[in-house]
Amino acid sequence: MASTIAEKILGTHAGNRAVKAGDVVVAKVDFAMVHDARAANALQMVGKLGAAGLPYARRSAFVLDHYSPPPNPEAANIHRAMRAFAEEHGATLYDVGDGICHQVLPEGGHFTAGDLVVGTDTHSTTYGAFNAFGTGVEGTDVSAVLMTGKLWFRVPETIRVELRGRLQPGVWAKDVTLHMLGRLGAEGANYRAIEYAGTAVAAMDIDDRMTLANHAAELGAKAALLECDEKTAGWLKAHGAREPHPVRADPGAEYCERVEVDAPRLAPQVARNHQIDDVVGVTELAGQRIQYALIGTCTNGRLDDLRQAAAILAGKRIAKGVRMIVTPASRQVWLAAAREGLVEALTAAGASVEAAGCGTCVNITGHLILGDGDVAISSANRNFRGRLGNAKSEIFVGSAATVAASALTGRITDPRTVECGEWRPV
Amino acid sequence: MTALIRGGARILGDEVNTDIHCSSKYFPGRDNAYIAQHTFEQVAPGFAAGFKPGDVIVAGAKFGINSSREQAVHVMRTMGVAAIVARSFGRQFFRNAINNGLPVIECDVAGIEQGAEIEVDVAAGRVAVPARGIARSTAPLPREVQAILAAGGLIAFLKSHPEWKLEERVSSER
Ligand code: SF4
Repeated sequence: MASTIAEKILGTHAGNRAVKAGDVVVAKVDFAMVHDARAANALQMVGKLGAAGLPYARRSAFVLDHYSPPPNPEAANIHRAMRAFAEEHGATLYDVGDGICHQVLPEGGHFTAGDLVVGTDTHSTTYGAFNAFGTGVEGTDVSAVLMTGKLWFRVPETIRVELRGRLQPGVWAKDVTLHMLGRLGAEGANYRAIEYAGTAVAAMDIDDRMTLANHAAELGAKAALLECDEKTAGWLKAHGAREPHPVRADPGAEYCERVEVDAPRLAPQVARNHQIDDVVGVTELAGQRIQYALIGTCTNGRLDDLRQAAAILAGKRIAKGVRMIVTPASRQVWLAAAREGLVEALTAAGASVEAAGCGTCVNITGHLILGDGDVAISSANRNFRGRLGNAKSEIFVGSAATVAASALTGRITDPRTVECGEWRPV
Repeated sequence: MTALIRGGARILGDEVNTDIHCSSKYFPGRDNAYIAQHTFEQVAPGFAAGFKPGDVIVAGAKFGINSSREQAVHVMRTMGVAAIVARSFGRQFFRNAINNGLPVIECDVAGIEQGAEIEVDVAAGRVAVPARGIARSTAPLPREVQAILAAGGLIAFLKSHPEWKLEERVSSER
């Protein structure tokens, strides 16, 4: 039987059997992630289960990233509870400032290609960049995984996306995912997995591939799966992961939909009107004034994103009246950016480089609240009305390069039209 | 297995997201009983006041999309929702409902009116409004999922099946 990547990974974990889309399986889980915005519920469910022991807690990480820093005593108390739980049950703890869950999990080498990973967050699809089936779950699921090391899954149908050719300079994975959102619509892949393949994917670095897998969450995808190649294997090894078990789709595997993207024809894309699937080419919005430029989040807060921004902004100054905030996705990204001179270049250009974490993604900490009529352009993944603390403000979403180019001019700007240095060690 | 559910239909529209179920403005701090009094008020004012325990929510497409928060389902349980019939569900909401023993069934809902007496048979995959002559069949939930529902949710299921064995067969082999 010809199978998709999702069918193979779930089948292997459900006792090495052939499964197909639509089956429900009880499968072994290799690693679980719990972050602070869901930990209260997860710990409550663990308490309700009342298991004598939680042998699989050792294969989990507790990440303090959303409430970083905690905006109130309730959040600080959740952090206390998480630290205590991790200590008692042997879970790995990532504390405030260590970084965003979806960045620290792969960096920590906690899983490898072919694994099944769950996390209390819809963007757990990110792990698919490493050929792992990563998917979002909730507190009750976590309690089951910590006690039994297993969970039930419905095997998803798969949409196959083929990215042909190469992306133009100045066009990034974020532009691909925004384009996909414009085409399929938000939740257009609800219940389904997506396989991303093609020459443009093979040409991408790991950071960009993570964007591809991460942003599939806005498409409603259960998982987003890329193949494991030499770059993947090298990255996993460098981060101390177990030996990879690469999983490929068979020729003849059944897909519920096939999508082709002609990569060279793709221009930078921007989402507008508080809808992540209301997507237009950047030039359509050229001239739109902005007051805030935000680079960060689990979608585009990685080293490559910071390099794109620094390549555009080094030796220059952002426009007067613009506030730019850069939040590296993790402490490791922060340190690498500092070593490469990116922190200095961006700070000198007028940006504030903050401690790693979810930062300006969502108004949870209250440390960025827009004024009435303010317009932000952000490299985040969502632009719901009021996501930055004010329903009377506006949020556009684009790549880190588009955000940096817009910070430079004070208006939404095509990154291909601004002078750009090299900041990509080859 | 889950018995036949019979209750009054309470209608909601398309794309009712989990922030409308229970707004994040209540976290952390407010309990589910408080949130239940305000649920859906943004799209259906007075919904909670008119809801009787045992009623069945009938909704449009993508019920419970967006945030994965399980509280949305806990709030439904607090209200005494007997089942939810919707054209489609947000993926995580569907999981959370099963995990909390709340029957959910995907089905065409056209013609089902507010207050109508609706019958839901999760095991047989059947939704009916006898008074209106509406009878629809849908794919029954897989056996493994029905077992979790019948136990009252995943936690109750695991308490009686701590050694959660892998099923010998998968559904497509039946
Ligand atoms: S960066 Fe944003 S989307 Fe990503 S995990 Fe944090 S809050 Fe969620």
